[in-house]
Amino acid sequence: MSPRAAWRLESFGFTRVYDYVAGKLDWMAAGLPTEGTNAERPRAGDVARRDVPTCSLDERLGEVRERAEAAGFDACVVVNDERVVLGLLRKKELEADASLPIEAAMRPGPSTFRPFVPIEEMARFLTHHDLANAPITTSDGRLVGLLRRDDAVRAAERLDAEGADRRENEEP
Amino acid sequence: MPQEIDREEVRRLVDEGAQLVEVLPANEYAEDHLPGALNFPLRRIEAEARDGLDPRRPVIVYCWDSA
Amino acid sequence: MNGETVMIRCSTCDDQIDRCEFCERPDCATALCYGCVIEALGQAIRQPHDHGG
Repeated sequence: MSPRAAWRLESFGFTRVYDYVAGKLDWMAAGLPTEGTNAERPRAGDVARRDVPTCSLDERLGEVRERAEAAGFDACVVVNDERVVLGLLRKKELEADASLPIEAAMRPGPSTFRPFVPIEEMARFLTHHDLANAPITTSDGRLVGLLRRDDAVRAAERLDAEGADRRENEEP
Repeated sequence: MPQEIDREEVRRLVDEGAQLVEVLPANEYAEDHLPGALNFPLRRIEAEARDGLDPRRPVIVYCWDSA
Repeated sequence: MNGETVMIRCSTCDDQIDRCEFCERPDCATALCYGCVIEALGQAIRQPHDHGG
């Protein structure tokens, strides 16, 4: 669509026309802000915990487990120097042998989700699939934060309650 | 020939005064659009863009993705 | 056990997959393939789509 629009504008005499080929999806996948009715609703990136503990491949599980516990998390995301997600340690992985290197202990290449996914969708999926948490990343794989199911469900419920209040106030 | 750009160039050009245009239908624009973007759906670009855009300024068009 | 991967079906498109791409479980009762997950979460839109791209 945008290439056709760009060419059409040139045919009208516009001389400096650019085509942002990757489009709105690319913009939102990078976690950049948007305007509009959806922008006012909380999304995965808004509710994800940015303070989730992270670790690197060459650490040992024992010290990472202590760090996660001290931070009040039952998960830790494995990232490189660029904060690109390489793996995930959920509760089960964190309970393994303390001497294990992270590279051996982690779940490699975990499923990750974009910051712009509506929170109600994430809450529904996390609940339906019985998943405690999910890493939220930008389109280039960089960690935004860890979305915890409890936080997602709470945010979705709050949204629901606000919607119900609004409808009640609008009724004659 | 229109130049293809990435999102960093979008930000740079907008800072320099470029006009940003979403060419998707109005309902999609209403849900989410890039900050400051105008909406000229492709089907109405002939009718609306000539009056709605300043030909002296650069224009950046975008839609959903590259598909 | 011969170590072979047991394939399951995407609950939306019926494609064969080895695990659910949302929860990563090989025995997920409502498993989804990658394409169906990203479409369901609005990370992609079905092709071809109304406005023609």
